Amino acid sequence: MSGQDSKKTQLIFLFFLLLPFLLFVFSLSIGTYPISPRGLIRTLLSAFSPSSFPDIPSAYRDILIRIRLPRLLLGLAAGAALSVSGASLQALFKNPLVNEYILGISSGSAFGAAISIVFLGRAFPSQIAAFLFAVAAVAAVLFIAGSAESHFISLLLTGVIVSAFFSALLSLVMFFASPYALQALFFWLMGSLSLASWKDLAISFPLMLAGLVLLLLLRWRMNVLSMSDEEARALGINVRREKMLVIGATTLITSAATAVAGIIGWVGLIVPHLVRLMVGADNRKVIPLSAAAGASFLLIADDITRGISPLEIPIGIFTSIIGIPLFIFLLKKTRKVWL
Amino acid sequence: MTFKDSLDRTVTIPPKIERILSLQPEITRIIVALGAGDRLVGLDYFLRHDDHLFRIIYPQESRLPVVSKPDDSVNKELVVRLDPDVVFASPSEFQAPDSIQRSLGIPVIALSSLGHFDKLLGEIALVGAVTGLEARAQELVAFFQEKIRPLSEHAASVPPEKRPRVYLAFWSSLTRTPVFYEPVNSAGGINLAENLLPSSLGSVQTVVTLEQIIKWDPDIILIQGNFLPNERMVMVKQVLEDHRLSSVKAVKSKQVFYTFGFWYWWDPAEVLVETLYLARMFYPEKFGRLDLAKEGEEIFTKFYRQDGAFSALWKLLNLHEWTRQ
Repeated sequence: MSGQDSKKTQLIFLFFLLLPFLLFVFSLSIGTYPISPRGLIRTLLSAFSPSSFPDIPSAYRDILIRIRLPRLLLGLAAGAALSVSGASLQALFKNPLVNEYILGISSGSAFGAAISIVFLGRAFPSQIAAFLFAVAAVAAVLFIAGSAESHFISLLLTGVIVSAFFSALLSLVMFFASPYALQALFFWLMGSLSLASWKDLAISFPLMLAGLVLLLLLRWRMNVLSMSDEEARALGINVRREKMLVIGATTLITSAATAVAGIIGWVGLIVPHLVRLMVGADNRKVIPLSAAAGASFLLIADDITRGISPLEIPIGIFTSIIGIPLFIFLLKKTRKVWL
Repeated sequence: MTFKDSLDRTVTIPPKIERILSLQPEITRIIVALGAGDRLVGLDYFLRHDDHLFRIIYPQESRLPVVSKPDDSVNKELVVRLDPDVVFASPSEFQAPDSIQRSLGIPVIALSSLGHFDKLLGEIALVGAVTGLEARAQELVAFFQEKIRPLSEHAASVPPEKRPRVYLAFWSSLTRTPVFYEPVNSAGGINLAENLLPSSLGSVQTVVTLEQIIKWDPDIILIQGNFLPNERMVMVKQVLEDHRLSSVKAVKSKQVFYTFGFWYWWDPAEVLVETLYLARMFYPEKFGRLDLAKEGEEIFTKFYRQDGAFSALWKLLNLHEWTRQ
């Protein structure tokens, strides 16, 4: 790599690592309820010392601390999780078309949420049901694919089959659902950060963080796993164990994100590709940059949904509207897909 | 006879209607209220499986076969076997009316009130004309208007700034709300989400952000209470304890209540009781003495000629709890 290239990569790194933080601060000011920058800073400071700011309206505190902060943190974490999950699985399967839901997570979690919303009502939180069934779907894929770790195409095919199976079960549940339950379910299926609360984050955030840290630690091994299994073994890698670790971590973070935010499409496909188009296929760079770019991408999409109207428009619509044209533009410009 | 339905379709029906299939719960209830229940030949899925009210007002419903499926699709072979003279459908299942009419040659009238009283009363009149029960339809329309009149007159005398500003949380979600709901207007309240979407879209509902609810700062929050108590996904207690809404006037002053709300559109008797209930809630000094149990019984008896129907509903929905203010 020439010195100029290295400098360019460093600049890209710096920009993308700073971007989520800048966006986070900016996003705090976006929303239906107008809060001045001064009011914003004073409200945030009042969280640490309420007695010093007795004149802060309680609505400011509710909006910033109880609505926007958990929502933005969920956006950051879910964006990073979905994007890193997609990048890791693309490297693992050596296939640029793989996304974060390829092992059945989306249809598994959708089925879990549907069971909870349609049949169990308040008795069983939909987030927990979605998480459990997402993990169950991946477990079913691994179980059915059996010893196919050296033929990952079998795993992919099994993922497609298990996804189709859970989709059929979902259709069955929807068939019997009352119109009122269906409306709640449709909103969840389209993905939204509006359901974020500190209570949900208390469980999902540590799970996403743990999985992300693990995948960041495994990033150099993903380069080795991107080679043939024989080459990886020759380099002293326990291929089966490492692949299972990557699958386990991606399942954990995608399930945790989906359980709270619903199914948000395209993040895990578009963001890693954009990152590769900028810095190449080295997973040591792709994984951390995907985390930063994914977090930023979801925050921007959510800012648009919160900024343009008082209506709660599902974020999945915007991830597609922004992401797909951007992706097409970059693809046309560079005329290649990195892996 | 020729009619224009809610989809602006012109439908011609035979002069004598003996067999009716209604796939629209609101119309089915009107048919029963008009006294033409014995002409029903089938039921829709919702009324049989999800509606706890209909079996109270029309206990004979169990004799009727269910013609539609949970996804609102229709068993056309069964429709042919039942041989109705006319079919009523909901315009929201927009393919059903044309599909049934085209493939089976049976006239289909698509109707719904969409939260408007004039449309509801228009439906009663139209179904009265279809069934030849115009006098009974007129009687019910007049009764409805008579009950609403004092409330509307009072509402008209209250300047807008003095009317309670109301947010409605319907359809099992705190943030899903109807963009038009006439019981609130007639009772003298302001539905904060009214006209949030352009009326040209014909939308009934939308989903708003939590911030928008805080920005509106409603005086009263109403939650759809037509669900059985154990099936309610949004509850008064839960809203009162939601820290995110702690700055909202309605929460601070504990003005969060159940109301009936839509139940696959309306039950004409129930929505009348609901409007009285809301007027009593909004203006206790004027309507506080209104005996809801007595009024409800009178209204349900007038519509369904069934003693005890309202007290059965009272018990089912635990109305005792939510009308205690």
